[in-house]
Amino acid sequence: MLSRTALILALCAPCAFAQAIPSRPEQLAFAPLAFQVPRAKEHKAKLKNGIPVVLSVSEKESSPLVRVTLSWRGGAYLDPKGKEGLAQLFGAQFSRGGTARLDPAQLDDKLETLAATLSSGCGETTGSLSLQVLSRDLDEGLSLLLQVFQEPAFSQDRLDLAKRQQRQALSRRNDAVTSIAAYQMNFLLFGDNHFASADTTATTLESITREDLKAFHGRLLHPANLVVTVSGQVDRKGILDQLNAGIGALKASTQAQVSAAVPAPAFTRKPGIYVSDKDAPQAMVQWAFPGLRRSDPDWHAALVMNQVLGASGFTSRLMKKIRSDEGLTYGVRTALGPGPHWQGDLTGSMQTKNRSVAYALRLAMVEMQKLQDEVVPAEELQVIKDNLVEAFPSQWGSRQAVAGRLTEEVLLGASEDWWVDFRAKVQAITPAEVQRLAKRLLEPDRLVILAVGKASEIEPGDPDHPVRLAEVAKLPLARLPLRDPLTLKPLN
Amino acid sequence: MRTRPACRTWLAAFLAAAPLAAQAIPIVEKTLSNGMRLVMVERHDQPTISLGWMARVGSADERPGMTGIAHLFEHMMFKGTRTIGTRDAKRDGELNDLQDKIQVGIREEMAILRERQRRGEITNMMDPKARTPRLQDLIKAFDRLVEEQRGLVVKDEMDKIYSQAGGTGLNASTSQDRTFYITSLPANKLELWMWLESDRLVNPVFREFYSERDVILEERRQTLESRPGGIVGEAFNAMIWAANSYHWEVIGWPSDIAQVTREQANTFFATYYAPNNITAVLVGDFNPAQATALAERYFGRIPANPKGVPEIITLEPAQPAEQRMLAEVETTPSIQVEYKTVSAVHKDAAALQALAGILGGAPAFMGRPGAGGGRPPSGRLNKALVLDQKIATQASASFRGQKLGGTFSLRATPVAGKSPADLEPLLYAELARVAKDGVKEEDLQRYKKATQVGLWSRLETNAGIRETLAQYLAVGTVADFQAAQERTQAVTREDVQRVARTCFPREGRNVLLTTRKQAKAPEGDPLKKAPERMKKLEGM
Repeated sequence: MLSRTALILALCAPCAFAQAIPSRPEQLAFAPLAFQVPRAKEHKAKLKNGIPVVLSVSEKESSPLVRVTLSWRGGAYLDPKGKEGLAQLFGAQFSRGGTARLDPAQLDDKLETLAATLSSGCGETTGSLSLQVLSRDLDEGLSLLLQVFQEPAFSQDRLDLAKRQQRQALSRRNDAVTSIAAYQMNFLLFGDNHFASADTTATTLESITREDLKAFHGRLLHPANLVVTVSGQVDRKGILDQLNAGIGALKASTQAQVSAAVPAPAFTRKPGIYVSDKDAPQAMVQWAFPGLRRSDPDWHAALVMNQVLGASGFTSRLMKKIRSDEGLTYGVRTALGPGPHWQGDLTGSMQTKNRSVAYALRLAMVEMQKLQDEVVPAEELQVIKDNLVEAFPSQWGSRQAVAGRLTEEVLLGASEDWWVDFRAKVQAITPAEVQRLAKRLLEPDRLVILAVGKASEIEPGDPDHPVRLAEVAKLPLARLPLRDPLTLKPLN
Repeated sequence: MRTRPACRTWLAAFLAAAPLAAQAIPIVEKTLSNGMRLVMVERHDQPTISLGWMARVGSADERPGMTGIAHLFEHMMFKGTRTIGTRDAKRDGELNDLQDKIQVGIREEMAILRERQRRGEITNMMDPKARTPRLQDLIKAFDRLVEEQRGLVVKDEMDKIYSQAGGTGLNASTSQDRTFYITSLPANKLELWMWLESDRLVNPVFREFYSERDVILEERRQTLESRPGGIVGEAFNAMIWAANSYHWEVIGWPSDIAQVTREQANTFFATYYAPNNITAVLVGDFNPAQATALAERYFGRIPANPKGVPEIITLEPAQPAEQRMLAEVETTPSIQVEYKTVSAVHKDAAALQALAGILGGAPAFMGRPGAGGGRPPSGRLNKALVLDQKIATQASASFRGQKLGGTFSLRATPVAGKSPADLEPLLYAELARVAKDGVKEEDLQRYKKATQVGLWSRLETNAGIRETLAQYLAVGTVADFQAAQERTQAVTREDVQRVARTCFPREGRNVLLTTRKQAKAPEGDPLKKAPERMKKLEGM
């Protein structure tokens, strides 16, 4: 899986004492270490019905576990109007509702006898059903996995329980600034008519039936929607034969549909500073600029710019300024969404006491302006690029990780070896490109800022650092009412 | 090795029920000349090394007035040394001294404010509006010194050096019992770790000390105060532990965090961060003999502390009476019952763990976020309260073994229309059922197998081995780690029944009943309120 040159320490044990300790760590010399990116084609196979398989397996693996995951394209974006929450409920119930031949208790019993775990989940655009089992129990585990995959029963009893649990979760929506910010930001960025904000309500949850789950399952079960992932202690040929005999025999039924493309939001954002009032000792602050797609030629430059700004922990400017210098937050970070289906977002978030919100945001705005006005020093840029390049192998640090990353690419329909030249592309980014991307992406008049917390303390700011929230950016300031946790209708 | 039976009927069933063989992790242990210990696991699957060193000190070593210092200290260890983190070590040191002098004055003023608060003249001594004029001046003078120092500081330089070298997961964590500093590096950078980590043990400088206290107050707000049930949980914990220093949270009381001094931090360092109180854990692609020699060169230069660390003397007395807390929180109603029990290395710990597993479900180990989630449904509490009686939406049990003691907890969330109090007798009934009838051999075997598989799953990566080792080193020794699988497998039905009978007396109960508190009505938009205000003015 991983090839590398042997690690040769330049010193031997007896002479170690004699050597002096260099006065700075830069004086240390390190043996070279080469890392080859796992190539997709060496890890991929196709079942006889065309379903792709991603494998990172070896019979000689020391851990006696095997993991088999069946993933699909399809998720909450397929929820019918009035049935929001269907995909999520389907995902949770897939592995827990029994099968046509085993009721849920019998299925649990069989899994527990094997100490196997079967789990499932469905998100906005994809989902998966996963088995972890001891290598020696693989046959029986696989047969249970296949049974659940093809004949799930969605037991009414377990569905009712899941709905009771889900309703309680809905009722907690307004209990914490973090959960309020999550739904408010979706409405601000995607409007009222896109799946990203069309969340479960008590009514839609109530309306979801067992038949809905079955129909959802039926439509997903098309070979063209599926990817299989296998990692762990198993022989490649053996597992492929077994998969071919099982899931490789799957044919599209009449209900099955190739999942449609994920729809982009058709919503015009209203840049502004929004405040949601919630009595809490600390506010949640989030912001977003329109980003770009990973297929954009500027993606790597944008990624590096974002690392300089806020995605690289203490090495990033925002953390240094707002946490280390000013002690205003436990953490501030930015993230560049890869935008697999439409242009993603460049988002930021931090939590800070209510009265510090305006000042902390002002500091963030200054840093973002600076990236546009001044070229990033070469040394600072080098640290950021070296980190991305040198830490790259650690992202492929286990069979599970290799198989998981390659599966993600297959699900997205990305080019086979997207990661092969990643390091070279990062290393080639210049200070001028970082500045260009800062200008392209950090346009203040396209910014949406949200603060959730005690509005009467957030808006005037801190007497020690007199900035009012309204002065943070040249954008309109507005109160954004909380929504009813069960109906998601704005509260007035 | 794999043995897959050709026929999978009774043979498979037989194999599935058979106990699993323990998997030995080859550990090399070394002690340096100054008493620092190394625990090493050599693995060449990936060209990385997961590294950490643990100081055996945590919040349990604190005392009132300086609670939170172990954790604050953990933050300070990232602020640099005489070499790392400054452009001018001499001036940097002078500025630190000047800052400390001003802080003496600030503490004098804080004492005045504390007295005013005691007398009811002000309500919150931390409120900027309550400051005395001298305090305001001192803060300004202090900020000027900080500003000057900032010009000399090389911000988060250790982080920068590790980042550039391909380090990942640079972090540290503090618990009641230990403080653990970790990172993972490409295999060729082991010496860099030795350099940076030994440097911060030999030459630490706690610069940016006072602003870091503010970071921790924000951390406290984020991780405790603004979480629904956070401060109630803190109060409940304080009710459970009366004498033992587990009484306060690791992050400490806010009053103490805001008042810790650099002098206290220096004393703390000298007492607890001596090499003879430190164990390093190295897991991954390296040669232990070479690593030991390197460690002797780098860490071996730190002088030992012949006095050793102070023992924790206070023992938690037996709880004489049941204790109850009734809380209103903006969250779903719930019940939590806690019993104080034994430490993680006590001979009964494995049996209590098994009891928790059988009552609460096997340990969840899939570790794949977002996939299904929740505990497996097999636990007795879940079967009885959630699936059969449909009176709860969640029910679980867990045992948490720590160094100085442990807790066994039962938790449940009622369905709408039922109250937490309705669930209380049902929780006790399940415990009593085990005490009376014991557990089924089959359930015990399943628990053991799930635990074994869970452990294997954790031991698949370098970082997973490091974390699992650390968990045992915090409360015991390498021998405890090595014996863990055997201890789990050795538990009998009689052991489980015995602990169920003896560890849960009525007077040992600590009960937290949480009901939903209605949210305060939002303050409303001041612009919309304006007409009302106008009306009042008109009336005047």
